[in-house]
Amino acid sequence: MELILMLNFGFLEDPADILIFFGRFHPLVVHLPIGFLILAAIAQFASRWPKFQPIQPFLHYLWALGSFSAFLAVLFGYLLSLSGDYDTDTLFWHQWSGIMVLALSLACYLVFKKQGKNAQFVKWSLVVLVAITITYTGHLGGNLTHGQTYLLEYAPNPIRGMAGLPPKKEPRPKVTVLDSADIYLDLVQPMMDGKCVSCHNPGKKKGDLLLTSYSELMKGGENGEVVVVGDAGASELFRRITLPENHDDFMPSEGKRPLTDEEVDIIEFWITAGAFPKGYVTKLDSKKEITETVYTYLGLDKNSIFNQTVDPPNTTLIDSLTDNGFIINRLMRDNYFLDANFSLSERKIARTDLDLLLNLKEQLVWLDLSHSGVTDEHLQKLGQLENLVKLNLSGNVISDNGIQHLSKLAHLESLNLYDTKVSEGLIDLLPKLSRLKSIYLWKTHIGDTLAVRLQEEYKNLTIIYKRETYK
Amino acid sequence: MGHFNNFMQRPLSRREMLGICKGGFGALAFTSLFGVLPFGCDRPKNSAAETGLSLGPHYMPKAKNIIFLYMDGGVSQVDSFDPKPRLAKENGEDPKKKFKVDATQFDNVGKILKSPWEFKQYGECGMPVSSLFPHIATCVDDIALIRSMTSNFPEHTNANYFLHTGSGIQGRPSMGSWMTYGLGSENKNIPGYVVLDGGLIPPGGLDNFKNGFLPASYQASILRTGVEPVANIKPLERVKNLQEEKLQFIKQLDNSLIGKMGEVDAVESAISNYELAYKMQSSIPELTEFKEESKATKKLYGFDSDDPHTRGYAAQCLLARRLVERGVRFIELTCPKVAADRWDQHSNLRDGHERNAHAVDQPIAGLLKDLKSRGMLEDTLVVWTGEFGRTPFAQGTDGRDHNPSAFSMWMAGAGVKGGTIFGKTDEYGYRVIENEVTIHDLHATIMHLMGINHEQLTFRFGGRDMRLTDVHGHVMKDILA
Repeated sequence: MELILMLNFGFLEDPADILIFFGRFHPLVVHLPIGFLILAAIAQFASRWPKFQPIQPFLHYLWALGSFSAFLAVLFGYLLSLSGDYDTDTLFWHQWSGIMVLALSLACYLVFKKQGKNAQFVKWSLVVLVAITITYTGHLGGNLTHGQTYLLEYAPNPIRGMAGLPPKKEPRPKVTVLDSADIYLDLVQPMMDGKCVSCHNPGKKKGDLLLTSYSELMKGGENGEVVVVGDAGASELFRRITLPENHDDFMPSEGKRPLTDEEVDIIEFWITAGAFPKGYVTKLDSKKEITETVYTYLGLDKNSIFNQTVDPPNTTLIDSLTDNGFIINRLMRDNYFLDANFSLSERKIARTDLDLLLNLKEQLVWLDLSHSGVTDEHLQKLGQLENLVKLNLSGNVISDNGIQHLSKLAHLESLNLYDTKVSEGLIDLLPKLSRLKSIYLWKTHIGDTLAVRLQEEYKNLTIIYKRETYK
Repeated sequence: MGHFNNFMQRPLSRREMLGICKGGFGALAFTSLFGVLPFGCDRPKNSAAETGLSLGPHYMPKAKNIIFLYMDGGVSQVDSFDPKPRLAKENGEDPKKKFKVDATQFDNVGKILKSPWEFKQYGECGMPVSSLFPHIATCVDDIALIRSMTSNFPEHTNANYFLHTGSGIQGRPSMGSWMTYGLGSENKNIPGYVVLDGGLIPPGGLDNFKNGFLPASYQASILRTGVEPVANIKPLERVKNLQEEKLQFIKQLDNSLIGKMGEVDAVESAISNYELAYKMQSSIPELTEFKEESKATKKLYGFDSDDPHTRGYAAQCLLARRLVERGVRFIELTCPKVAADRWDQHSNLRDGHERNAHAVDQPIAGLLKDLKSRGMLEDTLVVWTGEFGRTPFAQGTDGRDHNPSAFSMWMAGAGVKGGTIFGKTDEYGYRVIENEVTIHDLHATIMHLMGINHEQLTFRFGGRDMRLTDVHGHVMKDILA
């Protein structure tokens, strides 16, 4: 006890771990007084009915239990508060109303133990006061742990309105293509919501700054505007988030999660570009790096083709393709992307087969035409299968002229040209296949020197141009 | 014909009636495959019927085919992929003074035994591999090594069932059966689940490759390399049409039986097996003749080796590649019968492991390199594992006993992050201390790579929706590319 009293006067800067350890029992213990005291209050009221009269002599035990557990809760709560992890304003009120609960419940105990000597009025107002303070304390405690907005986050709008909260926001649809990403609505505001609004909201309004909407953001705080349009360096908001983390002015403060490098880059870009309230990222005068940052930030680095939903393929079409020797498989359950394999058909592919295949243009993402007698002429049709992600053309007599038709396959990730006649034509094709991750070129007319040169140029592309042997 | 009624099945039960009404036997197998929902649930919006296609995998697969290289008997992890310098330091000391030693199979616990083989680092990733596998060592950048495998059984038979079927007790469907049941086979002329017999039948026998409660057509077909890959594959009839006519007649009889008895799995599967066997008469010789394969390819796999077992396993590996090219879903290779027993060196570790390693090392490396250069490693998953590991201390003086508490395995190819090492054993390689991977986890991961959610591929049997992973299994996300 002495140690704790010492702490109370600030003799120790850093609370000992053991104190915090006990402090963490607060959430465990704190629900006991809530239950006991509310039970005591209910029992107290109930005992007025003749039916429950017999419990009256025992009621003060309930109050005793309640006040004892309230004492433990206050004690542990105090220890927990030493960790300094909590918002100080709310903590102050939570702490003192918690102590009030303890005092009031003790008073109840004393009053009801010596029955009948106090006025009814005093007794009942004590009971009601206990019930009210415990509710209030509990609510503040909830706010401390879960945040101010937790309770009413999903409340119906009329209820939110009564509590002075803005109506719930309609969530913006998830960005699936870069072209539909809005600089403010999809990028900047979600960052503010995630990292800044917990302090800069109408409830807290640190530095008199609100970051809940564009207009509030641009209005600025107690030291004036925080965003200087077109000049990130002069903007207080940008300065604060780019300071060293241990700097006093660094934001987010109080050890909250800082913004990531990507987020900082995007905010810098937004301010420099003109700090618009909305507008598509790709329409702004953006450099390649920033589009790439946005790309990864929004998790768009996967092939965008799979973000769309395609229609089920026509049954008769599938049947006729199957009859012609294609093996068609669905690639997933929740969408109709398909895999087609002709390599086991034991015959050569014909133009009519490809015409049929073109009807599957939308759904077809994997295609295996290895050893199928594909010629340069066929490739013209194949080049129209724009959604292809994986294409296997190995073992066919195709050459540089033919593969130029593949330049529109913007989603292609894997191209197998093993055992074909292609050579330098690749130099023209590769720049057009921007998503390509792997290409197989063993047994083609591409020499090792060219392959090595291409590999150096396309660092992210895996070029397999020979079969390794043992050293 | 009245007396034939004696041989007829009893009338349909209520359950069978309901089952058949659901849409015929074939459709039944498929609806139970992907469409099973608890009673009273709605069917998914997009049912298979709309497109004439099966529902396919649960999500986009990484691997279309699996080559399962089964290292029969249990390779010693501390002599292959999990170097433990401490064994050399404490060689010859009493293990019981160092750590708690579990009872082993033969309980003939000797001294701590250092590895007779040197380890070196290979590839860009610097993965250490012992001199047992000089060829596989050249492929480490494509390999994801797991050093923290465990098994539930310290004995071959149960451990084999566990590895193959997810249960230590005989009778469950093999993982190859589950895969073909879940995904079907692409080739109509070759079965979807093939075991390439290298000469050693694993302890536990053919039950390792059985369909269990799944329909009979999902069991493994066993192929050998050599003159007659499949027993009785050559037609005995001298006149060509005679066989066809015979088969036609048998089919007629079978069909009339089905007309009387309703769709019975045994009869239906028999009919489809006959049909497949007939097709295999032409597809198998084409498959097993290596005429088209170049000299360089054969050399890569080790066809020119002095060791007949290397040559034999080379043929198995090349055949495995050819099966993948033909769309076969799951191919398991069993080990060759070298002079020193399977990888199960209870004594004479040095000689036995060297012989076994020599037989498989070059063919496996050849397979990986060949697959990679043809672009096939991109959608083929190669899995290399035994059923358990071996002890870091000797059995007797120069052997190692079974150790289910830790062993190493690797995967390469489709969807696997090459050059990674996952999991950790203690300083003796005796127990797993970090990121334990159970056999169930391995199954879950393999299924995940095939696009199957291991919790959703079920088959109703004995009143329960059965799974390969039963109620276990977590996908090892850390080794996925």
